[in-house]
Amino acid sequence: MTDATPFAYKPGEHEAEKASNSYLMSLIAVIAGLPLPIINLIATFIFFMGNRKGTYFVRWHCTQALLSQFSLLAINTVGFWWTVSILFRDGQVSNQYIAYMMTVLGFNLVEFVATIYTAIQTRKGKHIVWWFYGDLTDVLCRK
Amino acid sequence: MKLFLQLIFIIVSFLGIWLGLSRIDWMTTFQVEKASNDIEEKLGDLYWDILKNVNDEIKDKELVSPLDSLLTRICQRNDIDREKIKLHLVDKDEVNAFALPDYHMVVYSGLIQECENEAELCGIIAHELAHLEKGHIMQKLVKEVGLSVLLSMATNTGNPEIIKQAIKVLTSSAYDRKLELEADLTGAEYLINSGIDPEAFAAFMFRMSAQEKGLPDQLFWVSSHPGSEERTQAILDYSKDREVKKEMILDSLQWVSLQEKLLKD
Repeated sequence: MTDATPFAYKPGEHEAEKASNSYLMSLIAVIAGLPLPIINLIATFIFFMGNRKGTYFVRWHCTQALLSQFSLLAINTVGFWWTVSILFRDGQVSNQYIAYMMTVLGFNLVEFVATIYTAIQTRKGKHIVWWFYGDLTDVLCRK
Repeated sequence: MKLFLQLIFIIVSFLGIWLGLSRIDWMTTFQVEKASNDIEEKLGDLYWDILKNVNDEIKDKELVSPLDSLLTRICQRNDIDREKIKLHLVDKDEVNAFALPDYHMVVYSGLIQECENEAELCGIIAHELAHLEKGHIMQKLVKEVGLSVLLSMATNTGNPEIIKQAIKVLTSSAYDRKLELEADLTGAEYLINSGIDPEAFAAFMFRMSAQEKGLPDQLFWVSSHPGSEERTQAILDYSKDREVKKEMILDSLQWVSLQEKLLKD
């Protein structure tokens, strides 16, 4: 799912730290933002905006961290409102609901582990490219 | 193209895992229904115990039997299990009736005295029965009291003051408009199936809402069910093209005797 690939140049210590922080930002937001899924995205987006004029390495990793939050936002939002409808409206707990929440939990866990791994590796100056999100970042992030 | 295929792969994987997991019967594995029934049962008992301690329950068979006959007829004609409903007649002047968790239905003697005939009383019973059957009680409690408070009440760790407030929610405040309308129309359907004209229920609501202006404190059932005029109209509209084969449940002597005995008590 993630690959360490050579980057266009060797990033400096300061760049590696900032790039790593973009992933940590989404992790901290996951803890603070539960159960509101939008918090992670907002936190990562603010960090992205703050660094959009940074070096290519920093911008690239801020973009990858931001993009990875979008798909989680979609599935977590559905899970959040489904839960709200069960608690406060006339929704019922069903096998489909439990299965959905398990799937969402699984995807969140994979994302969580991948984010921690990427934050650690990026801090060491390694360029970690995620499957799909990495390619999408290449398209969106210009040198 | 590669990106598009990757995106499709992610979406298909997500849906595939979800649908695959949906095939497992998690409701049985996690005993979801049993757990929620247990909570509802504990809450129902808790609510009823508290109400019973501050009010007198009427156990006289001559008074309870006619009420029981009305409820039994409505249940039988609508395929509702009568056994699960715990009917309580309470000696109190308030014009009130309400449903509690775990199929407790409480009717105050003041309400029976205020009804002019059995059809009016059946209307209120059918309305409360509809709240029970549609699961409105727990929905209202979760919405207004909060899930954490309900869980603490069910596990005997609740604050007495909060429990008092939670009881007030069910005995003297309205459900939201959508739930009330659903209970009105479902109740009207129950009445039609039972050979009782829903017009009597509509007439009762209309009469009570007119009286309420002069006697707001006693008419709990109507003051806690706002918008009576609109609701009266909705019931009349719902039943206007329906043919009701009217059948009496109690004979006229039984009804008069019930009201007289309640007045004496």
